[in-house]
Order: sequence, then structure tokens, then C-alpha cells
Amino acid sequence: MSLLYAAVRRRGPGALAWHLGALVILAVVLYPVVWTLGASFKPSAEIIGALDLFPADPIGDNYTRLTEGIADIPISTFFLNSAYIAVGSVVGVVLSCSLTAYAFAKVRFAGRNVMFAIMIGTLLLPYHVLIIPQYVLFQELELINTFTPLLIGKYLATDAFFVFLMVQFMRGLPKELDEAARLDGCGHLRTYWSIVMPLCRPALVTSAIFTFINAWNDFMGPLLYLNEPDKYTVSLGLKMFIDQDAVADYGGMIAMSLVALLPVLAFFVAFQRYLIDGMATSGLKG
Amino acid sequence: MSQNNGMDRRQLLRLAGLSAAGLGLTAAGCGSGGSGSGGPVTIRHSWWGADDRAKKIQQCVGLFEKKHPKIKVKTDFQQYPDFWKKFNTQAAGGNPPDVIQNAVTFLRKYEAKNVLLDLSPQVEKGNLDLGGFRSGLEKFAEIDGKLLGVPVGSNSMALVIDEKVYEKAGITPEIGWTWDDWLAGLQKIKSGQKIAGDAGPHGVMYLYDLILRQNGKAFFSEDGMGFGEAELLPYWTEALERVKSGLYADPGKVEQIKPASATAKGLSAGEFTWDNFSVRYSAEGRSSYGLAPIPSTDGKKTGQYLGSLMLSGTARTKHPAEVATFISFMTHDPEVARIMGYDRGVPATTAQFEAYQPADAPSKAIGAYETAIADAGVLEPITPHPAGADVIEAAFLRIGADLALGKTSPKDSVKQFFSEAKTALASN
Repeated sequence: MSLLYAAVRRRGPGALAWHLGALVILAVVLYPVVWTLGASFKPSAEIIGALDLFPADPIGDNYTRLTEGIADIPISTFFLNSAYIAVGSVVGVVLSCSLTAYAFAKVRFAGRNVMFAIMIGTLLLPYHVLIIPQYVLFQELELINTFTPLLIGKYLATDAFFVFLMVQFMRGLPKELDEAARLDGCGHLRTYWSIVMPLCRPALVTSAIFTFINAWNDFMGPLLYLNEPDKYTVSLGLKMFIDQDAVADYGGMIAMSLVALLPVLAFFVAFQRYLIDGMATSGLKG
Repeated sequence: MSQNNGMDRRQLLRLAGLSAAGLGLTAAGCGSGGSGSGGPVTIRHSWWGADDRAKKIQQCVGLFEKKHPKIKVKTDFQQYPDFWKKFNTQAAGGNPPDVIQNAVTFLRKYEAKNVLLDLSPQVEKGNLDLGGFRSGLEKFAEIDGKLLGVPVGSNSMALVIDEKVYEKAGITPEIGWTWDDWLAGLQKIKSGQKIAGDAGPHGVMYLYDLILRQNGKAFFSEDGMGFGEAELLPYWTEALERVKSGLYADPGKVEQIKPASATAKGLSAGEFTWDNFSVRYSAEGRSSYGLAPIPSTDGKKTGQYLGSLMLSGTARTKHPAEVATFISFMTHDPEVARIMGYDRGVPATTAQFEAYQPADAPSKAIGAYETAIADAGVLEPITPHPAGADVIEAAFLRIGADLALGKTSPKDSVKQFFSEAKTALASN
């Protein structure tokens, strides 16, 4: 809005063109979303092959169909499973990565730099190299078909990127604050919890948002580790509508994709406020 | 670092305990019950499919558990590509499901890796009944004396046609028609109704296999390719000409409307595919669709065989007897046939075939088609594909499509196909 206001005030032809261009790009970017929205009100046969953006006579069948569940499993089961994994991951990442980051950023100990370098090195490992060894490991531990393989890593700070992000953020915090805390008698844990954590809010919120989205959308992990459809997550449930051997239910799939977007959207909207909030206060910390 | 060190450690330990407790919480409620001896045995069954098949299979499993109270069956399913991704990981990790849905393309591949269970001892013990299979399906998945699977349903290649277009053109395909008859039909349709006669068969491996068989060859030999550049180059050159002249549908449009079928969307009057896929056409398209027989070279031999989905056990299973009992039940019980219908193809045993009378027109047509080709005596035994066949099938389809789109010349396409096929055969 403020951009539009500025354009009106300046009334420069360049500014006008710039905004028109931006609107055109916006239309292109939003087109798939609008198409999906329109398609969710079409009958399945019309979704593929027909070019209209919106159906001639919209139907709600795709959404009412969702209440029947998939393969005799209520849709809510998939959502609860996904929510459990996503929220569990967020809690794990926020706690474990920040604690690890505190150690790397604020505590001096032998081998710190080497260990930090090794941790960063894990970022370079492609996921596909780890699939089979990890599967064998969890198989030996008899943890297949539980949520543990999907969550345990998050509680052990294996997300090196988030650790790195937080380390960088913590290094930016003034040393004087830690020193003041120490003079007041704080140990490391107290400094971590009462001084560093509140100041790190933007980094924590960023990590939380990305973790939530990644966990919610993760497909490979749940595909490999969950063996019973009633433990499946939304991303697996979405694929139950279609197979090469069957008459595909595109309508149901698209309706469910839209419903599946809502929690991610809600999470983002709820937390981005804190993100901006955190930025503002961190700017003042001086 | 400071005097506070001791306290720090204690606090840290407490925190560590806290997060460990959190983990314990996540693990709780997900413990899997181990199967003790004597009590009920649990076997796992995975297949590819969607919602609809899942409901049917679940019903069959319920029936099975009622008749065999000592065996429990846990089921799991994904779509086709995801199913194989998961199965490969599970097999490599030493934890494959006990019973899987399988196809002939994968037999040699997994046999070479010792993944599949040899079911023949179970036949001798009487846990698996091999009697009563329809002709063309006996000893379906026997490789080097090992029984690696049992067919649950059959399908065969067919020409799905838009009946209205064919009727208007006055063409009635019959068993015994030849490729020349077929081509004359395409030209008639093209000149009379301005529709391409076929969606473009040049990428369909299973059709080309039939053409080769009609001429005394085959797509695959036991361990490699059964044909060479000398056969494929004229076939693809001719295909490209027919695309250009409009006898085959515009490949650009065919790609665009995927995953819908070109014939269902009115781009062509017909296309070659598996007969059981024809159920989809009436759901996707507006015309009425029928099954026409595969044209032949000499008016007799079509080279056809029955393909099939099958059930296979996996070699690591701890319960081979129960696996065999389950497979036997799924292939012979008439009630299973009434639940499954033609979902996995036409039921493989005569008992099941007779138990289910389809009510809908497409399924009736499939049943009639398979009876007709069996009566005509054109069916031959299937040759199990060499390991790597699945990769080669995908390459044939992709390179065939690129050729039609004009991205590569026939000569380069043929070269590329054989080089990819060679790699696939060597690495599998």
C-alpha cells in the first residue's frame, strides 16, 4: 500500500510503469494459486484438460468428499500426525540448536573451531547418501514405524544450518551483556536462558518457521519410516488420491492441498509478527 | 572457566534429562508389538495404488483375518513410483514387507539381489494352491525353477478406440486384422473426420514387443535386448513421418494434456495400452470407448501374452507359511474377487473369474476381450524381463516422445536408446 501511495505522490511515469510491471509479475506468480483454488471447485474430469481458470458451475463435492476420509482413515488423522511432527520438530530445533549455538558462540573450549568446522561440513552431505545407513540404524534400534526417527535428530541439534544461523546471531550480541550477567552471578545456563535466548528471538523465530514448514512438507522421511496409513502425514495422504492403476481423484487431492496449506500459512502469519518485532528490538540493543 | 562450573554441569544435566524425557514422550505410544511364537503372527503387505484399492484390500484382509484368526495382516500403500522408492530402501535396510504387489518387470531385478522368496517349498507343503489358474497364467513367475510370485489378475495389450469415431468411419476391427488394415483405418479417419487416428504408439515398449514377437523376435532376451538398431530405426523413422502427416496425434498437445489420455480428450481416435486401463477413459472423456484387438503382421499371430500384477513374498520373511497362506487366499477365494472386481486386472483363477460378474460396461468389455483373445488362441507365454527392464521401458517412452517432438532425429534417438539400454542392463 505504501508503495502505491508513494507512486501516486510522485506521479512519475517511471514509477507508474514500475508498479504496472510489478502487478504483471504478481499476476504470474499468483496464477498457480488462483488456478488451484478454481480447480478445487471443479469436477475431477474437468480439472485436467480444461483450460478455464474457474468452473462454469462450481461444486463443493471435493471438500465434502474430504470428510469421508481416505482409505477409511479420517483426514484429521493425517493432520494430527503432521502437526505432532511439525510442532515436535520446532520445539526440538529451537531448544537443541540454540543450546549448541550458545556453546559455539559463547563458551571457549578445546577443539571448538574444529568441531564447528565439522558441523558445518555436515551441511555438504547430500541427504540421499544418508538414507540407507540411517534406515539401517533405526531398523536395528527397532524404531521403524514410529515418529522417533523423524524427530530425534531435531532434539540432537543435527540441523547444522540453524546452529550456524544462531551462532552468527549470538556472536553479534555485545560481550558486555554476558559479562554483566556473570558479575551478577549467572552461570552459563542462566546466561543462556535469561540473556541470550530473549535477544536471539529473530533467529529463533526464523528457525522455527523454516523448521515447521520443512517438517510439514517433508515427504521422504515419513514415506520411509512410517509403515501404517494411520500414522501417515498430510504429505503422504495427498498422494493417496492418485495412482497410475486407478481413476484419479484430482478434485479431492487439490481440495486437500489447499486445506493442507492453511496450518503453514497460519503458523507463518502468527510468527512473522515476532520476527519483525524481534528485528526492531535487536536494532536498539546498542 | 569459572567457579560456577560445577553448578553449570548439574544444570546442563538437568536440561539434558528434560529433553531426553521429551524424546521418550515422542517414542511412547508408537511401540510395535513383537510377534511371539504360538500367538498370532503379523505379516506386512504393501502395494501400490490409491484410495479405492486400499478400501478393497482392507476388506479382503478383514475377511482373511476372520478365516485365519492366527494371522494378522498390516497393510501399507503408496503410489507406484513412491512404492518402489520405499521398497528399495526397506529391502536394502533389511526390513522389507512380507508380501508385496509385484510386476513381471521387476522379477529378475530382485531375484538377482535375492530379495524375493521362492514360494515352491510352500506349494509342496500345501500352503499355496497353484491349481485353477486361467490359461496363459500358469507358472507365470517361475524363473530358473524358483516360484517368485503368483498372479492375482491379468491384463493384456489392446487398442482402446473411440467407438463413435470408428463407427462413423465405418471401421470394425476384428481379431485377425493386420497392420495394413489398421493403417488404412487411420487414413480414413484422418481424411473423413480430421482427427489423428492414433495417439502415437512409438514410445510404448509393450506394443513394440508385440510387433517384434510377430516377426519372431522380442524386446528382451533372457539377459539383454532382443532386437537391434536395424529393427528400431525404420520403426521410428516411419513413426516420425506419421506424426508429421497427422496420422498420429500432435505430440506437443499429447504432452500438454498429460496425465489425461489423448484418446479420452479427443486428440486421437485410439491408442495402445493395457486393457484394464480402459476403465479410466469413460471417467475422463465424453465419448464411448471400446477395446479392439492388436493388429498382426500375418493375420494370425499377435504375439500377445497376459501380463499381470502378482503377489510376491520377500526372502527375509520370518513367516513363509503365513505369507503363502495369504497369497493363496487372495488368488483363490471367490469372495475376494467379488470385492476386488477388475481393480488389479481380470482375476487370475477360474474360480475368481467366474465369481465376479462385472456390471459396468468398461469392465464387461475387458472380460469379453480377454475371453476372446484366449479363445482365439493367440496367447503366448510371457518371458520375464532382465534386470533393468523398468529403466529401459522409461527410456523408450521418453526418447520416443522426444523423437516425436522433433528434438532428436530418428538416427540419434535409436543410438541414444541403445546406449541407455546398455547402461541399464549393465548396472542392474
